[in-house]
Amino acid sequence: MLTPKGYISFIFHAHLPYVRHPEYQQSLEEKWFFEALTECYIPLLRVFQELAEDNINYAVTFSLSPTLLSMLEDPFLQERYTAYLAGLQQLARKEEERTAGDVRFAPLAAMYRERLDYAAYLFHEKYARRLVNAFRDLQEKGKLEIITSAATHGYLPLLAVQKEAAYAQLVAGIDYYRRIFGKASRGIWLPECAYDPVLEDMLGELGLQYFITATHGVLYASPRPKYGVYSPILTPGGLAAFGRDPETSHQVWSAREGYPGDYLYREFYRDIGYDLELDYIGEHLHPAYLRGNTGFKYYRITGPDNHKEVYDRQQALQKAREHAANFKFNREKQVEYYGGVMDRPPLVVAPYDAELFGHWWFEGPQWLDFLCRMMHGQQYVEMITPSQYLDRGYALQLSTPNISSWGDKGYHEVWLNAKNDWLYRHLHHAAERMVALATAYPQAEGVQEEALKQAARELLLAQSSDWPFIMTAGTMERYAQVRVSKHLNRFLALERQIRENNVDIPWLRAIAAADNLFPNLDYRIFQSLESTVPVEKEEAGAGIGGIS
Amino acid sequence: MRSGAVEGLTTVEKLPSFYGEDRLVLLTRDPYWLFAYWEVTPATRQQLEMEGQRSWEHLNLALRVKRYATAMENEGCFHIPINHTADNWCIEVGVPDRYYRVELGAQIPEKGFVALLCSNTVKTPRDEISNVIDENWRLPDWQARRLYRRIARGSISSLEMAIRGGGSIHLERRDEC
Repeated sequence: MLTPKGYISFIFHAHLPYVRHPEYQQSLEEKWFFEALTECYIPLLRVFQELAEDNINYAVTFSLSPTLLSMLEDPFLQERYTAYLAGLQQLARKEEERTAGDVRFAPLAAMYRERLDYAAYLFHEKYARRLVNAFRDLQEKGKLEIITSAATHGYLPLLAVQKEAAYAQLVAGIDYYRRIFGKASRGIWLPECAYDPVLEDMLGELGLQYFITATHGVLYASPRPKYGVYSPILTPGGLAAFGRDPETSHQVWSAREGYPGDYLYREFYRDIGYDLELDYIGEHLHPAYLRGNTGFKYYRITGPDNHKEVYDRQQALQKAREHAANFKFNREKQVEYYGGVMDRPPLVVAPYDAELFGHWWFEGPQWLDFLCRMMHGQQYVEMITPSQYLDRGYALQLSTPNISSWGDKGYHEVWLNAKNDWLYRHLHHAAERMVALATAYPQAEGVQEEALKQAARELLLAQSSDWPFIMTAGTMERYAQVRVSKHLNRFLALERQIRENNVDIPWLRAIAAADNLFPNLDYRIFQSLESTVPVEKEEAGAGIGGIS
Repeated sequence: MRSGAVEGLTTVEKLPSFYGEDRLVLLTRDPYWLFAYWEVTPATRQQLEMEGQRSWEHLNLALRVKRYATAMENEGCFHIPINHTADNWCIEVGVPDRYYRVELGAQIPEKGFVALLCSNTVKTPRDEISNVIDENWRLPDWQARRLYRRIARGSISSLEMAIRGGGSIHLERRDEC
């Protein structure tokens, strides 16, 4: 095989906080999940499957957070999604009737109907509601590399005041992945790319082989990385750290110059959920009669002001094709440039939020499809996953990454500021109590074990990085406060009941049924690290590059 | 019409104001700022009140921020006066790539700073490319310049942070720390 001039690693990070509300008929927050399924995950799966069917060579890394995996596997949410999707399909048919004969709108209504029918086919017929199997199939075909993340996407540097809290997040995430995919995850997506060297011992001990950092995580590593972010470095814990390439990030994300803002692309903010009469649309809203997005959007971005013209799918696809060609061209120039400086082919690491593709950037999945097809068969820039790159055996420079995250301003401020800093005293206190419980009750059985497991679940749920993030963003802030206070209070009550040997069994069973993720969770993962023996290292997969 | 069910999700439950434990925790926010929170139990307050011969409200409470170049090498400290109702503080430390530890206490006449609680140690991130170079992993200078110049063009700007955090922090003599 010819050595390419350079490599590119696409990494899609898919995550949602655990949102499941059987106590309500419909919840706005469950809709985050349903929308992500319909608009992102299913369209991306469709692209990946069609590429595979057409024998296109591609290699993409997909991190699926354990909370998202849990939601994908939850029968209750599967049932609710079934109803949600059926409602949208019904709306699609109504829309076809409403727009019949209109040359501008009718093709768009037909497009939405076809997309929803495909979603129903994939969800019901092909995978019998278990979309996790779609990901697994693609992984087994060698097209996707799926990696795990921390259990509930806890922001590890701020939890690591108690090392056990960060450790438990990692172990629960690794363990759940193994249960779902039947093998160990070689890499891990550190939530929000948040890294601190205090995590090194744990990451190494758990048998992980790599993680991704923000650009300056690797760029500001010490000693200075010889190749900047264009080769991974070997961290003190023995993992490879892959730093994000700033150019590919800019091309997709930049508000001014980024692809998704092109005037021919679909406008996100014009949705029939807002535009049509409530008499017509109300019953299809979620929750019913509450104005919100339906996903039926008929306009294109058009320009910077409020004037919007009708979306033209063919023109938008043509633009996506041009953008894919532009992206490919820029990567060739980029690896040519760095190749002239480096004595090995540069690796461009391009991580993205999966939810950008399809939901915000409607044409994103098609852009990726065009790009993979254009890159197929050319030897210049090769798509590669981090594991595949490590298997090539390049020697890696030993260096310690810099504390960093991919959030605004590059460090921890998004998750630690005046809007959310009050949270940490509660999270740290609860973690300390959980460590004490797990250490004091190493052999619990029966109700006591159930209560300890549930206490661990409640703590993990309270630790999601989503809650402080939402508080900072200021949208749905109340929901984040409700969730975090609820999980912490459930934890505190359980902790007291366990200590007093007085567990309220009906209540325990009720909250265990509501907050039901990680059925096999072992609460002992919270045991004091000073009193436990390190977990067995994963049997070596392919080793990672040596130190020279 | 907004369904009652959805509105039900807006109840924020109260969390304990105190846990009855002495605690001072320090967190890193970015290369220039830290965040500290604390809880002081009544018994511990009393110790300081006895030491200072005055009530909590009338003590000159302060945080002493100690800076270290390595985990052991003390570079000095500075004090931040705090009011008696505060239970958290954003601390501008101004220097990246350093270790910090904070003590909560009071300035007491003739005794100086009397510490009551001590925090964990944290480190601020580096805000520039490392000066440490491994000779086995060194590009010729002209190549390194080409490599880093292009990366910097596309990277996040650390300039804004440098400007915001750029105020000089006056450290006191080490023997006072």
